[in-house]
Amino acid sequence: MSYDLIAFFMFASMMLMLMTGQRVFGAIGAVAAASALALWGTGGSDIPFSSAMKLMNWYPLLTLPMFIFMGYVLSESKIADDLYRMFHVWMGPIHGGLAIGTIGLMVLVSAMNGLSVAGMAIGATIALPELLRRGYDKRMVTGVVQAGSSLGILVPPSVVLVLYAMIARQPVGQLWLAGVVPGLIMAMMFIIYIAVRCRLQPELGPVLPKEERQVSLGEKLRLLRAGVLPVVIFASMMVPFVKGWTSLVESSAIGAMAAFVAAILKRRMNRAVFEASVRQTLAISCMFMWIILAALGFGAVFDGLGAVKAIDNLFTEQLGLNPWMILIMMQLSFLLMGTFLDDTAMLVIVAPLYVPLVAALGFDLIWYGVLYTITTQIAYMTPPFGYNLFLMRAMAPPEISLRDIYSSILPFVCVMLVALSLIMAFPQIALWLPEYVYNR
Amino acid sequence: MPPFVNGYIRFVDAVNYRVGRAVMYGIFVMVAILLWSSISKAFFLPSLWTLEAAQFAMVAYYILGGPYSIQLDANVRMDLFYGSWSVRKKAWFDVFTIFFLIFFLGVLLYGAYDSTSYAIQYGERSPSAWRPYMWPIKVVMCIGFSLMLLQAVSELLKDIARIRGEDI
Amino acid sequence: QEPKIRWRLQTYAGPALAEHVVKPAIDSFNRIAGKEMQIELYFADQLVPTGELFRAMQKGTIDAVQSDDDSMASPTEVTVFGGYFPFASRYSLDVPVLFNQYGLNEIWDEEYSKVGVKHLSAGAWDPCHFATKEPIHSLEDLKGKRVFTFPTAGRFMSQFGVVPVQLPWEDIEVAVQTGELDGIAWSGITEDYTVGWADVTNYFLTNNISGAWAGSFFANMDRYNELPDHLKELLKLTMDSSHYYRQWWYWGGEAKLRTDGTKMKLTTIPDKEWAEVEKAARVFWDEVAQESETKARVVKILKEYNEKMEKAGRPYRYT
Ligand SMILES: NC(=[NH2+])NCCC[C@H](N)C(=O)O
Ligand code: NA
Ligand code: NA
Repeated sequence: MSYDLIAFFMFASMMLMLMTGQRVFGAIGAVAAASALALWGTGGSDIPFSSAMKLMNWYPLLTLPMFIFMGYVLSESKIADDLYRMFHVWMGPIHGGLAIGTIGLMVLVSAMNGLSVAGMAIGATIALPELLRRGYDKRMVTGVVQAGSSLGILVPPSVVLVLYAMIARQPVGQLWLAGVVPGLIMAMMFIIYIAVRCRLQPELGPVLPKEERQVSLGEKLRLLRAGVLPVVIFASMMVPFVKGWTSLVESSAIGAMAAFVAAILKRRMNRAVFEASVRQTLAISCMFMWIILAALGFGAVFDGLGAVKAIDNLFTEQLGLNPWMILIMMQLSFLLMGTFLDDTAMLVIVAPLYVPLVAALGFDLIWYGVLYTITTQIAYMTPPFGYNLFLMRAMAPPEISLRDIYSSILPFVCVMLVALSLIMAFPQIALWLPEYVYNR
Repeated sequence: MPPFVNGYIRFVDAVNYRVGRAVMYGIFVMVAILLWSSISKAFFLPSLWTLEAAQFAMVAYYILGGPYSIQLDANVRMDLFYGSWSVRKKAWFDVFTIFFLIFFLGVLLYGAYDSTSYAIQYGERSPSAWRPYMWPIKVVMCIGFSLMLLQAVSELLKDIARIRGEDI
Repeated sequence: QEPKIRWRLQTYAGPALAEHVVKPAIDSFNRIAGKEMQIELYFADQLVPTGELFRAMQKGTIDAVQSDDDSMASPTEVTVFGGYFPFASRYSLDVPVLFNQYGLNEIWDEEYSKVGVKHLSAGAWDPCHFATKEPIHSLEDLKGKRVFTFPTAGRFMSQFGVVPVQLPWEDIEVAVQTGELDGIAWSGITEDYTVGWADVTNYFLTNNISGAWAGSFFANMDRYNELPDHLKELLKLTMDSSHYYRQWWYWGGEAKLRTDGTKMKLTTIPDKEWAEVEKAARVFWDEVAQESETKARVVKILKEYNEKMEKAGRPYRYT
């Protein structure tokens, strides 16, 4: 079989298998195993297992359960409640203020965990019901929570950037720093969008009623203290890491411990919270790892059968495009695949094909990591397949229909696309901070 | 369903539940190892074994925990169509597609068995300074893949029962 | 059009290094063999992780491998002598002499045949130096340093407080940056520059723990036996061309980069202090010789060879 045919055949059968609704890792793993047995020749049957050994050697993966645990401790123990109240009181008096406050909340939550699930859970359980009760438009606020929580993977720590770092062989510290400014800019853009929209259509985000706004200045200032906790947790993890005192995986364990201790000190760690955090951490870690296992196998088989050459050839020779066109094509293909494929699988399978090409075209791989992460965020939110969509569907109050959820994300996806183009046009937005800190 | 089938389902689910509940505390094992690693590095000589031990713990954690994660329904599916199907229709599809999963697990287990027997035969050690024997972790992986297989079969049987309109 | 025979060869080097040390040879093989046979080159951990490399070749998942015996943990008696066996050689020409004139070829052939693998050809690479973030001026400075190195070299150096760490080759550069590693004792300065390690470390220690790395090409026994004679011959020629390329590439590179390179500062541990390490190596040799008859045979050859070099005087030895 020719390389082109193998590449086509493997991708097509994977897509087909995914559509049957079988577990993603099973679908991908089965295609990998079957192709290996059928086409590899002697010893092909060992490839799936040797991927398990490869996964074991990928030591940065240890950060995954740590950051997942952090997130669950944070959301289950409701230690973000105080943060929420802080934003509520401070932002309440303006149009759309609570929605803007929710974005602020999401930024701080993002600094304390590596995924968007925690932000999602906090947003959907604490913020959403309150916003609805105060007459905020349901489409507006569902979108706010989804968009805001997606910052979780752009603002460090970020699991997606760790995974990308492993594949692109780039330093995690620089990638994380590269996510900071784009993350904040994107948050800013969300806020501007909300403010403008609520100015034009005040009924979407009414001002808090007078009674609720009468909070003394002393009380207001006291509430600001809630902001200390995220800073402490973030610093306990990032400072030793950036200073080089602890390694990446060690820092992630420190972060997990810090969140856990914070929950105990705030007297929020009871049996139920403990149980839920530990169990959920296992569940989500398993989900990730089994997908990575299957995807690594898929990648090795794809590569060993020569299909990678077909892809390279397609991009560089057959299409004869200039570097920017290729880059844009890649982003588009990510968006397209993101409508069907799990983002981790996408990363493990596709990034090894793209990353060398991106490097060969002369683009910066740190910068590309940020582009990839934003693209992933968009993929998370866009139907038909998107984690944040699933989560929202599962967590949203009953008055929010699936249609509401779908239409709520539209404006935010547009904002994200604008942010994406901005960062493409001005790489320094992402690269300035890591260059400054590490004197690259 | 015949009683031995129900027995199988109950037994396998119970075993995997217990195993999963036990390994889920593995998160603390990993945290402890890594914290010790930072402490030993900061105050004494860095220890030789921490990173590798944490990697072993991680592998045991996700492989042995796999069956329980299936019970918790944590493994995502592409639910473009699937999401909107009835319980019965889902079961019908799964009854067929679960064989792909079983096949994948079978190939994994075959490779694991092969590699484990090699590790035992030659006394394979990790090439690190700590030089741990490799067979223990490989045996754990074999056990994990087997449990995962048993769980997949249990899911298959449950789907058949669902199609027949029985409850399990 | 499909070639008649297709091999997958995985090297233990990453792409940047492979560009010099193996790719030219594979390219010429492919150009000459054309439709008859093509060797596809894969880099470190690309298809299978290095730890599983030997097994994969024995089983036929991979057809051929370029590696040292030590890194791929081959289950043979000669494993410790691959890579950098401390102070076994002083110059890179020592390796082919030992294999071709002092009987190592025969021993390797015997050992690998036992486990179903064809030992094709051994060659030499660069000397082994430390590249570190902090400067090393004395043995004391080595204490507690977490260093990526070869298994046997690591085992040997741990008596001086070095903490050897094993990671996938491709992750080393990043691991130095993220603090997993304090340094690398894996190569000479040519490779430090070629693969990018010179960008993440600051110092280069001029003392080496061995003058040349020994590594080989291997193949799955059945796959090799299936080759027609003229392809076996071509394989041998191109492997030799790869050995030759490395001889001059490293020899020239080491001197040039030490003197003209700007990314790393040179430091040295005084000869008197370093003699301690050399002395420890003799003890280490004897320990290893105790472990088995085959190992004793190899150690005996190494001793003989080194004695002969000392007796021969300049240019073999200057002291
Ligand atoms: N590959 C995955 N399974 N990703 C799940 C994570 C998605 C989720 N929205 C998060 O970032 O937290
Ligand atoms: Na984050
Ligand atoms: Na999507």
